[in-house]
Amino acid sequence: MAAVGEAPTLFLRKATGLVKGWSRFDAFLYSFMSVNFVTLGLFFALSVLAFVPDGQVLPALLISGVFVTFLVVTYAGLISVMPRAGGDYVWQSRVLGGGIAFVLAVTGWWFILWYWAPIYGNILNVEVFQPLAAVFKLDGVSTFLASNNGLFFVCVVTVLLAGYLVSLGMEGYARVQKVCFYIGMIALGVVLLVMLFGSRSGFQSAFNQEAANLFGAKGDVYNETIKVAHTNNGGAIVPSLGFSPFFGPTFLLVPFLCFWILWPNWGATLYGEVRGASDFRRVMGGMMWGLWVTVAVAVVFILLASKFFGWEFFNGANLNYWAAVYGFGDQTIPVWSYAPLLASFYFHSQLITALIILAFGAWFIGWAGTLFLSSTRVIFAAAFDRILPEKVADVSERRHVPVWALILMLVPALIVSAFYAYTSTFKTWILDATLVIAVTFFGTAIAAMILPWRKKRIYENSPIARYKVAGIPLITVAGFLTAAFLGFNLWHWFTNDLYAINDPDSLLFMGSMYLLALVIYVVAKVVRKQQGIDLAAIHQEIPVE
Amino acid sequence: MKIFFVTDLHGSEICWKKFLNAGPFYGADVVILGGDVTGKAMVPIVQRANGTWEASLQDHRDILESEDAIVEFEKRVMNRGYYPIRVSDQEYVAMQEDEDLVDKRFKEVMLDGTERWIAMAEEKLAGTGIRVVACPANDDMFEIDDLLTHAQVVETGDEDHPIQLGDYTMVSMGWTNPTPWHTFREAEEPELAKRIERALSAASDPERTILNFHAPPYGSKLDNAPALNPDLTYVSGGQALRPVGSTSVMGSIKEFQPFLSLHGHIHESKGAARIGKTLALNPGSSYEEGILQAAIVNIDEKKRKVKNYQLVNG
Repeated sequence: MAAVGEAPTLFLRKATGLVKGWSRFDAFLYSFMSVNFVTLGLFFALSVLAFVPDGQVLPALLISGVFVTFLVVTYAGLISVMPRAGGDYVWQSRVLGGGIAFVLAVTGWWFILWYWAPIYGNILNVEVFQPLAAVFKLDGVSTFLASNNGLFFVCVVTVLLAGYLVSLGMEGYARVQKVCFYIGMIALGVVLLVMLFGSRSGFQSAFNQEAANLFGAKGDVYNETIKVAHTNNGGAIVPSLGFSPFFGPTFLLVPFLCFWILWPNWGATLYGEVRGASDFRRVMGGMMWGLWVTVAVAVVFILLASKFFGWEFFNGANLNYWAAVYGFGDQTIPVWSYAPLLASFYFHSQLITALIILAFGAWFIGWAGTLFLSSTRVIFAAAFDRILPEKVADVSERRHVPVWALILMLVPALIVSAFYAYTSTFKTWILDATLVIAVTFFGTAIAAMILPWRKKRIYENSPIARYKVAGIPLITVAGFLTAAFLGFNLWHWFTNDLYAINDPDSLLFMGSMYLLALVIYVVAKVVRKQQGIDLAAIHQEIPVE
Repeated sequence: MKIFFVTDLHGSEICWKKFLNAGPFYGADVVILGGDVTGKAMVPIVQRANGTWEASLQDHRDILESEDAIVEFEKRVMNRGYYPIRVSDQEYVAMQEDEDLVDKRFKEVMLDGTERWIAMAEEKLAGTGIRVVACPANDDMFEIDDLLTHAQVVETGDEDHPIQLGDYTMVSMGWTNPTPWHTFREAEEPELAKRIERALSAASDPERTILNFHAPPYGSKLDNAPALNPDLTYVSGGQALRPVGSTSVMGSIKEFQPFLSLHGHIHESKGAARIGKTLALNPGSSYEEGILQAAIVNIDEKKRKVKNYQLVNG
C-alpha cells in the first residue's frame, strides 16, 4: 500500500522489454576496465611525467578527473535522452547531420583504431612478453621482442586476439572481462601491498640485484638510473611530489593524461523501457565510479611509488625508457621499468615475478576486446544508413561473427602495425590515437550543448529535461565544459611540440583519415542518389500535426 | 509501390501521428504498423484528499494545480506511449492492492486508445488513396483485434487473413517465440511453425509475397537483445547481446524465400539482412523518445524485386 506522501507510481503490465535495470557493479566494471590504469595509465600517462619537468601529477590528475566528470555527465545525458541509439554516430547524426556525424564517428571509432592496434600490441610487448622473456632469461626471445620484427609479431598477435574476442561476442567477452577484473585487482593489490610495506632501501637493493641477475647490469644501477635520467632530461627529472605548482606547467600534463583517463564513457549504453531520471543517475554512476575509482587507485599508486621506488627513480627510469625508444638517450636496463615488474623484484623469485606479470596480463586481456567492438557497431550503423555497402554488416551464419566488419578492422590494422614497427616516425604519434577520438567526443559535446534547441521535442520528452543549472539545461552546461576541456587539449596537441604530434607527417596521417571518411560519404551520397536513395532523408523529422 | 513500415509503437501518440503523416511525407502508397500497437504502462494522476492532483513521470513528481496542467501532463504521458488515468486517492490505493482492478483498467484504456487511433486514421487518411495497415502482435491483448478488423480505413491481418497489396500478398503473424514476460501471443517454436505454415498457405509465389512476422529470424542480427538474468536484470551491464529471434521464422524464410520480410519485436536491433533471396528488415523502435524509426521500401513491380530501401528516423 502506498504510504501517505509518496509519489504515485505507474502501473505496468506484462510486456516485452520491461527489464528491472542493471547492476551498478557491471556498469562500473566496464567503465573501469576502459579507463585502464595498468595498460593506459602506467604505460604512457604516468611514464611521461618527466617530459614536463615542472609539472605536478596529482593536481593534473584531479583537474583531469573533474573535467572528465563533465564528459561523463554529457554522455549519461545523451544516453538518457536517446537510449539504445548506439553512441556518438547516432547522437551526432540526429543533431548535427549525417555527413558530420559519419566523418567524426568513422575516424574516431574506426579508422584511428587501426593505429590503436600497434599501441595495444606495444603495451602487450612491454607489459607481458618482454618482462616474461627477461625473467626466464630467454635472451634470444628478448632480442627478438625488442626488434622491429618482434614488435610486429606482437602486434599481429594482438590484432588476432582482439579479433577473436570480438568473435566471442560481447556476452562471452563480458565473462572473460569479469574474470580478468578479479585477477587483475588481486595482482594490483599484491603489488600495492609490497609497495606499502616494503622499504625503499630494500627495493634499491633488490633492483640492483635483479638488474645484475637478469640483465647483467653492474654496480649501483638504481642510482645510475637517476644519473642517466638527469643527463637525458638535461637537468631535473621532476619536482618532489606535491601540489605546487597547481596550475601553470601542471596543465601541460593534462593532454598526456587524456591518453588514459578520457574513456569512462567507452561503450556505455542503456536498454529497456519505461525509464526515468533514476536511470540517468545509474548510467552516470557507473561511469563516474569507473573514473573516480581509477583516479583513487592512481593517487594511491603514485604516493606508494614515491615512497617505495623513490619519485626521482620512478620517473627517471620511465624517462630513460622513452629516451631509448625515441633515440635521445640511454637506459640502464633493456626493458621498460614496468612498475609491477620492479615491485616483484622485492621477492627475489623468478616464479613470483612471472606470476605477477601473468596476473597483470589480465588487465590487458580484459581491455583488448574493446579495440574492435565499438568499431563494428559504427560500421554496422553506417551500413544500415546505406552509407557503407550492405555487405559490411553481414554476420556469419553459424557463429554470428561480423566477418566483413572484422576484415575492415584487421587488415588496415595490420598494415598500420607494420608502419608502426618498421618506421621510426609512426611510434612517436601515440597521442594521435587520443586526438582523433577527442575530436569525435568534441563533436558529441557540441551536439549535447545544442540538443535542447535542435531537438526540442525529444529533449523535453526526456528524463533529464528538468535538470538545470542557473536555468540552463544541465546537458548544455556539461557539454560546454566538456567541449572547453577537449578544446584545451586539442589546442595543445596541435600547437605544442611537447606532444610530438604537430609535425606535418602526423597531421598528414590524421588528415588522410578525415579525407578518406569524407570521400566515402560523398561517394555514398552520389551513388545512393543514383539508386533513388536520399541520405539526407534519414533524419528528417515527420511533421506531427 | 512504396511501403512505409514501422513497428512497436506501443501506444506512443506522437509516433502514431507521425505514422499517419508519413504517407504524404515520403510519397508512400501504403503505411504499415507491423505489430505492438498498445502501451505498456498506466500513469495514475491521483486526486488527493485536499483536492490537488498529483502524478509522477520519469521519477519526477508533479503537483498539477489546474485542468490545463493536467491536460498538458496527460499529453506528455501519451507521447511516451503510456496511458494517463485520473483516479481518486482511494481508487489508486485499491488498484495497488488488486491486480484485477489494474488489468480491468488496462483493458479499458488500451481499447479506448486504439479506438481513438483508428478515428484519427480515418480522419486523416480517408479518401487519400494511402492505405494504412495495423496488425496486433505479442504485446497486444486479443480484444484489440476486433476493433482493428471492424475499422474502415485501417486494415489488419493475421495468419488467417492475408492482405493484398496490389499484386503482392502480405501475410502477417504477431505471435512470437517465448519471451521472459509471458505476453499475450507467444508460442513454442513447433506451434509457431504451424502458424507460419497456415499463414503461408495463402501465398504461392515467393516473388509476390511479403512477410510481416513480428518475431525476427533467429541469428539474423535483427534479433540481438541485451541478455537478461532470471530476475530480469541485465547480464554484464547491458553489454552482452544475444540473438533471441525465432528459429521457425528463420526456417520459413530460408525455405519459402519471399522477396521481402518485415520484422520488429526487438527494438534495439535495427538493421537489414539478406537471407538467401530475401531482404529482411527490422526498423527498430524508439517510441518513448517520439522518434519514428521506419523502413521505406521501394518495390519495382515490373522486375518483382526491391528497388531500394532505407531505414529512417522520422
